Amino acid sequence: MASVTFDHVVKRYTSDLTVVKDFNVEVADKEFMVLVGPSGCGKSTALRMLAGLESISEGQIRIGDRVINNIAAKDRDIAMVFQSYALYPHMSVYDNMAFPLQMQHMKKAEIDKRVKSASSSLGLGNFLDRKPRALSGGQRQRVALGRAIVRNPQVFLLDEPLSNLDAKLRAQTRIELQKLHRDLGTTFIYVTHDQVEAMTMGDRIAIMNAGILQQVGTPGDIYDHPANIFVAGFVGTPTMNFVAATVQDGVATASGFHVKLPKALPAAKGILGFRPEAVTDRIPDPDSAMEMKVDVVERLGSDQFLYGKVGGDSVTARVDPRIKVEPGDSIKLGLDTRTLHFFDSETELALL
Amino acid sequence: MAEIGTEATPRARRRAAAVNEGGNPGGGWRDHLGSLAFLAPGAIFLLAITVYPLAATARNSFYDATASNYVGLANYKEIFSTSSILVTFRNNVIWVIVFPFLVTFIGLVYGVLSERIRWSTAFKTIIFMPIVFSATASALVWRTIFDLDPHIGIVNATIQTASDWINPPGLYPVDPSAGQSVAGLVATGVSAGPKDSLESSSTVTAGNPVELGLIGISPATLQLVGAQTAVVPTASPGAVTGLVWRDFSPSNPTARGQVLPDELGFPGLKLTLLRSDGTSAGTAVSDAHGDFSFGSVGSGSYKVQIDSSNFSSGFTGIFWLGTQSLTPTSSLNQTAQALLSVPLVDISMILAYLWIWAGFAMVVIGAGLASLDREVLEAARLDGAGEWQTFRRMTMPMLAPVLIVVIVTMLINVLKIFDIILNMAPGSSQGDANTLALAMYNFGFTGGLGNWGLASALAVILFILVIPAIVLNLRRIRG
Amino acid sequence: MSVVSPATKPGSPATKPVNLERRSLLSAIRPSRAILNIVLVVSAVFWLVPTIGLAIISLRPESLFQQSGWWTALTAPSQLTLSNYQTLFAQGLVARGVLDSLITSLEITVPATLLVTIISSLTAYSLVFGRWPGRSVVFLVIVGLLVVPIQVALIPVVQEYRVFGDLSGFNPFGTIPGVVIFHVAFGLPFGIFLMYNFYSGIPKEMLEAGRIDGAGEWQLFRRVALPLGLPAAASLMIFQFIWVWNDLLVALIFLGNNKHATLTIFLFEQTRTLAANYWIISTGAMISIFIPLIVFFSFQRYFVRGVLAGAVK
Repeated sequence: MASVTFDHVVKRYTSDLTVVKDFNVEVADKEFMVLVGPSGCGKSTALRMLAGLESISEGQIRIGDRVINNIAAKDRDIAMVFQSYALYPHMSVYDNMAFPLQMQHMKKAEIDKRVKSASSSLGLGNFLDRKPRALSGGQRQRVALGRAIVRNPQVFLLDEPLSNLDAKLRAQTRIELQKLHRDLGTTFIYVTHDQVEAMTMGDRIAIMNAGILQQVGTPGDIYDHPANIFVAGFVGTPTMNFVAATVQDGVATASGFHVKLPKALPAAKGILGFRPEAVTDRIPDPDSAMEMKVDVVERLGSDQFLYGKVGGDSVTARVDPRIKVEPGDSIKLGLDTRTLHFFDSETELALL
Repeated sequence: MAEIGTEATPRARRRAAAVNEGGNPGGGWRDHLGSLAFLAPGAIFLLAITVYPLAATARNSFYDATASNYVGLANYKEIFSTSSILVTFRNNVIWVIVFPFLVTFIGLVYGVLSERIRWSTAFKTIIFMPIVFSATASALVWRTIFDLDPHIGIVNATIQTASDWINPPGLYPVDPSAGQSVAGLVATGVSAGPKDSLESSSTVTAGNPVELGLIGISPATLQLVGAQTAVVPTASPGAVTGLVWRDFSPSNPTARGQVLPDELGFPGLKLTLLRSDGTSAGTAVSDAHGDFSFGSVGSGSYKVQIDSSNFSSGFTGIFWLGTQSLTPTSSLNQTAQALLSVPLVDISMILAYLWIWAGFAMVVIGAGLASLDREVLEAARLDGAGEWQTFRRMTMPMLAPVLIVVIVTMLINVLKIFDIILNMAPGSSQGDANTLALAMYNFGFTGGLGNWGLASALAVILFILVIPAIVLNLRRIRG
Repeated sequence: MSVVSPATKPGSPATKPVNLERRSLLSAIRPSRAILNIVLVVSAVFWLVPTIGLAIISLRPESLFQQSGWWTALTAPSQLTLSNYQTLFAQGLVARGVLDSLITSLEITVPATLLVTIISSLTAYSLVFGRWPGRSVVFLVIVGLLVVPIQVALIPVVQEYRVFGDLSGFNPFGTIPGVVIFHVAFGLPFGIFLMYNFYSGIPKEMLEAGRIDGAGEWQLFRRVALPLGLPAAASLMIFQFIWVWNDLLVALIFLGNNKHATLTIFLFEQTRTLAANYWIISTGAMISIFIPLIVFFSFQRYFVRGVLAGAVK
C-alpha cells in the first residue's frame, strides 16, 4: 500500500515566513496526483518534505501507514526526478542508474539486470557508456527517469520534469509519462506550474496558491466547478472572464449585459465568471446577448478568439474561425448560461 | 508501526523540534553528527594552530623576552623608540606604496597588450613562469644579476658596455674608488695637471728629448700592452721627442730619475703638446719603448701632457644591493634619516619581486578582461566612443574590482615580505632593508633564546596591519 | 593555458562591423603591430634573463665564474658542462646536502599537500552541504583567517609543541611532522575557501538526488562531492605544493636543529656561510625549481584556475 497522506502539514522557515499552511491531501495508491500552482506557491516544498529534503514543521506525512517525519530520505523508499535531472556528471549513464541500487548493496547481477531492462524500455540501451553531458536534453530526462525506475520505489516524485524540454518533446514526453505510470502501477506525485500538464496528466489535481491548498479534484471537476476565483482563473486558456455583477431576482447585471442565472442566489454584488467558450457567435437567448467592441483578434486555425470590451468590462470570446472580424468592429455575441460561475467578491469563493 | 511516529512522547517531540530548528529533515541527530565529523579535522587544526595562537601572541606581546613576566606596553614602547626597528616600518611603507601599484600597472599593460599578439600564450607563459620560483631561489638569482662585479652581474655589465662605448677606459685605469689617484703615479719630470692629466714639470723645446718617469703601474700590466725596454729617443731637430717610462728598476730600486736597462716604457699613451697658452700644438702616441715624437713644431717652449683618458677607469659598477639612499637625507638628523631614506637595495628587491609576481597580476587581470561583457563595449563603440575612450570609460571601470583584488592581494603579500630580504640583501644591507616580518623572525628565533615578547609585539602589529584586508575580504564575500 | 587566453567568440553575426572586433575593443592605444611586438619581445627577454642566467651559471665550471659573465656562454657553448651537478649528486645523501634536502622537501611537501586537500574538502563539504546552524559564521571566520600572517602563530605553536611533548613524550618541534602540521593549518583557510566556492557551484539537487538514492553522508562525499570536486582539488594541490615547497620561514623555525634541511634552507645556508659559492647556490637553485617547473608546465590550466580562485591569499 503506497498511499501518501499529508496531514495538517506546515512548513515554516521563520515565525513570519510560512510557505506551506495546513496542507491536507490524500493520494491514493497507484494514483497520478499533480500538484500545481504558480511559482512560489509551496508545491515544491510540499514535495520536498515528502522526499525528506526539507523538515516538516508541523503535522505528519505518511506513506501507507508509516509516518515518515523522522525517517531519513534514503530510507523512505521513494524516487525523485528533478527539474534539472541532477544526473551525476562524472558517472556514465549506466553508473547513474546503478548508483541507487549500489547504495542498497544490491548484488551486481541484479543491478545489471535492472539497469539493462530499464534502459532498454526507455530507449537508452545504446548510451549506457556515455556521460550525461554527451546526451541530448530528452535523453538526460530519460536517464533521470531510469534512475528512478530501477529502484522500483513505492512512490515516484517528479518535480517539473518537463520544463527543460522544448515544446514538441514536452508534449511527447507527457504521453510517455502517462504510459509509464500505467506500466509501473506506482503512485506518482507530479509537481508543475503548467496547468496544461496538470489537466492532461493527473488522475487528480491539487491546486495550491500562497502556501494554501485551494482545491483537489479530477481535471474535469476542477475545470467545471472551480472552488474559487483563483482556481477558476488558473485553469483554462484563455483565462476565464471575470466581470463585476449585481444579482437581483435571479438576474445578474454587468456593465454591458445581463443574464438570468440558472440557480437562485440571494441578492448580492459579486463576480460573474464565464469561460471564453461560453461567449460565442451563436445567440441562444437574446436576453443575454451582448455587444462587443473588438480590440484584438487571435486566429488559431481551429479557433478564433476575440478580445474586447463589453460595456466597461474586458471580455474574451471564442467564435467560429470562419467569421471575419477586424479590430474596431462591433459584434453581437451570445452567452451560454449553463456554465456560469458566480463568486463572492469578499471571500472569492464560488457561490454558483 | 504507525504508532512510532504518531506517539508524541515529550522526548520524541523535543527531538523532532531540535531537528526542525536545524532545518534537518527526517534523519535525526545523526545527520548533524555526520556533518560535524566532517568539520572536525579542519576545526581542530584551525583552532590549535591559528585561532588560539593568535590570542596567545597578543598575550605574549605584553610579556617579557621569555614570555613569563608581564611588562605592559614595554615591548611596544621599545619598538616605537628604537630606530633600527623603526626602519622596518619605513621599508614596509616603501614596499606597500611602490610594489602593489607597480605590479598591477605592469600586469594591466601586459594583460591588455598581450591580447593583441599572435604569440600571446607563449608571452603569458614566459611572464607567468617565475611564480613557481621560491622567493629564496629568486633572491639568489637576482643577487647575481645585481652583482657589483661586471664580470658577474649582468646589470653592471650592461651599463659598463654602454659606458665604455661612450667613454672608453684608458690603458692604465686608475680607480679612485680603490684609493688610487693619478697624482700618485708621478715619479720623475712630471707633475699633476688639470683634470687627472699629467704634465711635464718643465717646459720642453724641440730637439731636447724629455724623460717622463711614472710609477705605480705593474710590469705585468705594461707587458700586457706590449711594453719593451725603455729607450731614450735620439734628439731630432724641429721635433719634440721624449719617452714615458716606468721609473723603477727591480735590480736597483733606489735609483730614480735614470732610464735603466731593466725598466720598461709605457706604450700606447695618448700625449698632447701644449703651447704656453694651453692650446694644443699636436698629439702623439707613445710606442712600445715609451717613445714619442711631435714632428715639425718649430721653436718655442711647450709642455707635454699625458692625457687624462689614459687613466680613465671607465665604469666600475653600481652597488645595487647597497644602502645608499635615493632621497637626499644627509642634512637630517639620524632618526629622520632612518625614516626618510630610500635605500637602493629596496628598489632592487622590489624589481626581483616584480619579476615573480607580474605574471600573477597579468593572469588575473587578463581573466577579468576576458570576462567583460563584450556587448557593453560594443555598445560604447556604437555610441561613438573611440578606442581610448572605450578603454578609459568602459573597460577600466568595469575592471576596477579585479584591479582592487590584485592590489589588495599584493599589498598583503608585501606586508609579510620576508624571504626575499633575508636572501637577497647582503649582510651589510640587511639592517637597512629590514622589514617587520624579518625583524619578528630575527627577534624571536635568532641570537640564542630570542626575545619572544618583542617578536610577539611585532607580530601583533603585523596582524593589525592586515585587518583592513580582512574586513575587505569579508565584505566582498558577503556582498 | 586555455584559461589565460580568452578565445574570440566564434560565429559572430556576419552583419557585425569589422571594426568592432574584440582585439581593438580591449586595447587602449593602437600602436603599430611591429612596435607592439618589439615591446613585448623585449619584455619577454627581460623576463627570461634571470632563469637563463641561473641555468647557465649552474652549467659553467666554477673557475669561469669570476673571470667572465655567464652570457659569454651564449656565444661559446663549449663552456657548458654538467660537472656542477655531478659534483653535487656525487655527494650522495649526506645530511644537509642537496639530495638529502630534496628528499626532506618532498617529505614535508607531499603529506602537507595531501592533508590540506583532504581536510579542506571535508570541511568545505560540511560547510556547503551540511545543515547545522552557524555554518555561514564559520565560513566567514575562515575567510578572515585567509590573510592572517603566519608570524602571529610561530611562537605560540613552538610553545604548544613543547607542552604537547611534555604530555605525550613526542615534541613535534624540530621534526618533519612539526613542519607539516603548521603548513596544513595555514594551508586550510585557502583550501577550504577554494573548495567551498567550488562545491557551492554544484547544484544542491545533485546531493539531494544522492540522498534520495539512498546514499549516506560519507557516500555522498566519496561518490558525489569528491569526484565532482576533482578539478578544484587539483588546483588546490598544485597551489599548496608550490606554496609549501617554496617555504623558507616555517621550515627554518620548525625544523630547528634537525640534521636534515629543506632545499630552501640549503640555499639560504649556502648564501650565509659560503657567500662566494655561486656554483653551488645556482646549481641548488636550479634543482629546487625543477619540480615546481614540471608541475607548472604539466598542470598550468589547474594552476591558473587556482590562482584565479584564490586571488586573496
